[in-house]
Amino acid sequence: MHTDYIHIILADDDEDDILFFTDAFDELKINTRVNTFNDGEELMNYLNDDESLMPDVLFLDLNMPKKTGIECLREIKTSDKMSGIAIAIYSTSASEEDIEKTFVLGANIYIKKPNDFKKLKKVLSEVVSINWQYHTNALNKDNFLLRL
Amino acid sequence: MKKKYLVQSTSFLRFILLLSLFVILVIGGFTYRHISNLTDSTEVVIKTYKVNVELEQIVSYLRDAESGYRNYIATKDTFYLKPYLNTYKKVNNSFLRLKGLIEVNSEQQENLKVLKILTDSLFSNFSKTNVFVKNDETNTEAFKTLYFKEKIIIDSIRRQSTVMFELENKLLNIRQKENQSDLQFTPLFFYSVLLATLILIIIAYNKISNDLKNIKAKNDQLLIFKESTNQSEIIGNHGNWIWHIDSNKFAYSDNLYRLLGKDPQSFEATFDNFLKFVHPEDVDKFAEDLDKMIDVEELPVTNYRIIQKNGSIKYLKAYAKAFYSVDGQKRLIGNTSDITDEIESILTLEEHNLELERNNKELSAFNYAASHDLQEPLRKIQTFISRLEEKEGAKFSDSGRLYLERIKSAAARMRLLIDDLLQFSRTNKPDKEFVSADLNDLFENAKQDVAEIISEKKTKITCDNLPKATVIEFQIQQLFSNLLSNSLKYSKEETVPIIKINYTKVKANDTPDLLKASKSFYHKITFTDNGIGFDQKYAEKIFELFNRLHNKKEYSGTGVGLSICKKIVDNHKGYIFAKGEINVGSVFTVYLPVN
Repeated sequence: MHTDYIHIILADDDEDDILFFTDAFDELKINTRVNTFNDGEELMNYLNDDESLMPDVLFLDLNMPKKTGIECLREIKTSDKMSGIAIAIYSTSASEEDIEKTFVLGANIYIKKPNDFKKLKKVLSEVVSINWQYHTNALNKDNFLLRL
Repeated sequence: MKKKYLVQSTSFLRFILLLSLFVILVIGGFTYRHISNLTDSTEVVIKTYKVNVELEQIVSYLRDAESGYRNYIATKDTFYLKPYLNTYKKVNNSFLRLKGLIEVNSEQQENLKVLKILTDSLFSNFSKTNVFVKNDETNTEAFKTLYFKEKIIIDSIRRQSTVMFELENKLLNIRQKENQSDLQFTPLFFYSVLLATLILIIIAYNKISNDLKNIKAKNDQLLIFKESTNQSEIIGNHGNWIWHIDSNKFAYSDNLYRLLGKDPQSFEATFDNFLKFVHPEDVDKFAEDLDKMIDVEELPVTNYRIIQKNGSIKYLKAYAKAFYSVDGQKRLIGNTSDITDEIESILTLEEHNLELERNNKELSAFNYAASHDLQEPLRKIQTFISRLEEKEGAKFSDSGRLYLERIKSAAARMRLLIDDLLQFSRTNKPDKEFVSADLNDLFENAKQDVAEIISEKKTKITCDNLPKATVIEFQIQQLFSNLLSNSLKYSKEETVPIIKINYTKVKANDTPDLLKASKSFYHKITFTDNGIGFDQKYAEKIFELFNRLHNKKEYSGTGVGLSICKKIVDNHKGYIFAKGEINVGSVFTVYLPVN
C-alpha cells in the first residue's frame, strides 16, 4: 500500500471531461495519481486484475459505452475485494432517478459535473480530502448529493 | 295504478250484477207468497159462504118440514107429510157437509153439535106429536104441550144457526183483515225494491259508461303514445320487435325495417329473414345470444353488425326481456338501436386520443432529452470559457474581454433556460404520488430554496397558517418557490420587497373564479407582493411557456417559471390566477381542491 499519494481513478468516455479532471488535479497540488479509463469494461478489467493497484477514490461517470456506470457500481459493490472502494458518481445529470438508484446501490457520494473550472477544482479537492469512514457512517440521502 | 282501477271497476260491476240478481230473486219469492196468500183468502171466503148456505138450507128444510107438518095436522092429508119425511135425510146430509167445512176443534164445531142435538130433539118431538095426530087427539093437553115445545125448539135452531152464521162472518172478517194488512204492505215493498234495483242499474250503467269513457281516453293516449314511439324511434335510430315464442312469430316496428335499410313491413318478419342481414362474422354469436335469451328470459345487451343491401355496415345494439300476456303467452319484447355513429365517433376519439398520447409522449421525451443532452456541451463551453478567462484573460484586448463577457452571459442564460425546461418537463410526468402533506412545511422548504435572494433583498415575508392537503409534495414546494422567486425577481429596486401569503378555505359556489370548478371546497392561497406589477391585460399570457413581459436585460426570467406553476396547479386539478397593477404589485391566487 502507498501512503505518500492518493490513488484516483476516473472512468469517463468524454475526453473533454477527462482533460478538465486531470488539469484540475494538476493545478490542485495535492499529491495524487490519476488513472483514467474510457469505458466501464476497461475499468472493470483493470479492477479485476489481481496485480492492479486499488484506487482510494473512484470517480464513475454513469453514461458510458460497453458497460454503464450503474453496472460497474453494482459489480464493485457485490465483490468482496472491491466493495471497500469509495465511489464518487460523477455525472452531467442530477436526476432524482439516478441519485436514488446509485444511493441504493451503495455509491458514497454524488457529484454533478460543475460548469466552472474553479468550482470543479473546489469539488475535487473536497472529495479527495473526505474521511470516507466517517462520511460513510453518517451518509444519508440528503447529504449524498454534494452541494457546494 | 290504472290497472288497479280497472280491476276495482270490474269487481264493482260484478257485485252490482249479483246484487240485482238477488233483488230480482227476492221480488219473485215475495210475489209467489203474495199470490198464494190471495188464493188462500179467496178459498176461506168461499168456505164461509158455503157454511152459510148449508146453515140456511138446514133452517129452510126445517121450516118446510114444520109448515108441511102444520098443514098435515090441519087437513090430516098425508101428502103434506112428504117434505117432513124427506127433510130428515137432507138435514143429515147437510150436517155431514158442514162438519167437513168447519174447522176441527173450533168453537163452530161445538155450535154444530148443539144444532144437531136441537134438530134431533125436533124430529123426536115430531114423531111424538104424530102419534097424537093419528089418534085424532089434537085437542088433548099433552099434544098442546108437545106442539108448544116444538115451536120452542125451532126457534132455538133458528137462533143457533144465526149464532153460527154470525161467528162464521166474524171469522171471515178477521181473516180478511189479516190478509189485507199483508197485502197493503206488499205493494210498498215491491215498489221500494224495484226502486232500489233501478238505482243499482243506473249506478251500474253510470259506471260502465264511465269505464267506457276512460277506456276511450286510454285508447286515445295509447294512439298518441304509439305515434310518439314511432317518431322517437326515427329520431333515436332504434326499433322494437316482439317475438311470440309459443307460436314462433315475429313483429317488427316500422323503424326496425328502416334500420335494416328496407321499407317498413316490406318483407315477412321472421328469424331467418333477419339473420340474412347479420354480418357473417357475428351470425354465430347473434344466434347464440338469442338462444340464451329464451332461457334466461332477459337478454344482456348484445352488440352485432348488420350489412344493409347497399353494402354499408351498421353497428346494432339489442336488449330484450320476456313478457307474459294475460293469457300466459310468453313473448320477448326487444329493442334494437343503431349505434354506428356512436361507435364510429368512439373509434375516431380513441384514435385521436392515442395519437395525442403518442405526440405528448414524444414531446416530453424530446423535451427531456433535448434539455438533458444540451446540458453537456453547454457545461463544457462554460468550463472552457472559465479556463480561457483564467489562463488567457490577461492577453485579451478590451474588446476581446468584452466579447468573452458576452459569451459568458449568453452561456449563463442558456444554462438557465435549459434548467427551467428540464424542470418543466419533469412536472409533465404524471406518475407522481399524492400524499397528505403539511403545506407549512412545504412553504418553509420553498423559502429555503430562495433564502439567498430573500436575505440579499432583505425581504419581509408573512405567511398565514396553511392547511394540510393531499398533494405531490415536491411540486407544491416548487410552486411556492417559483411564486416567491417571481415576486423577488420583479421587486422594485429601491423598495423593500414585502410578500404576504394569505390562506382561506372557500366554497366553489361563492367564488366567482371557481364557477366551472368540479369540487365544492378549495384551499385559496394568495401571494401578494409590492413589486413592479404588470398590466392586467397580460394576466393570462404570463402563464404561457417562454412568455415574458420584460426584456432580458432588465429582469432575468426565462418565461418558464410561471408555466411550471400553472402546470403544477393543473396537475392538482386546481386553478391559478394573476392580478397585477403596474408599480403597485401583483397578486397570484392558487386554488387547490380540498381532498
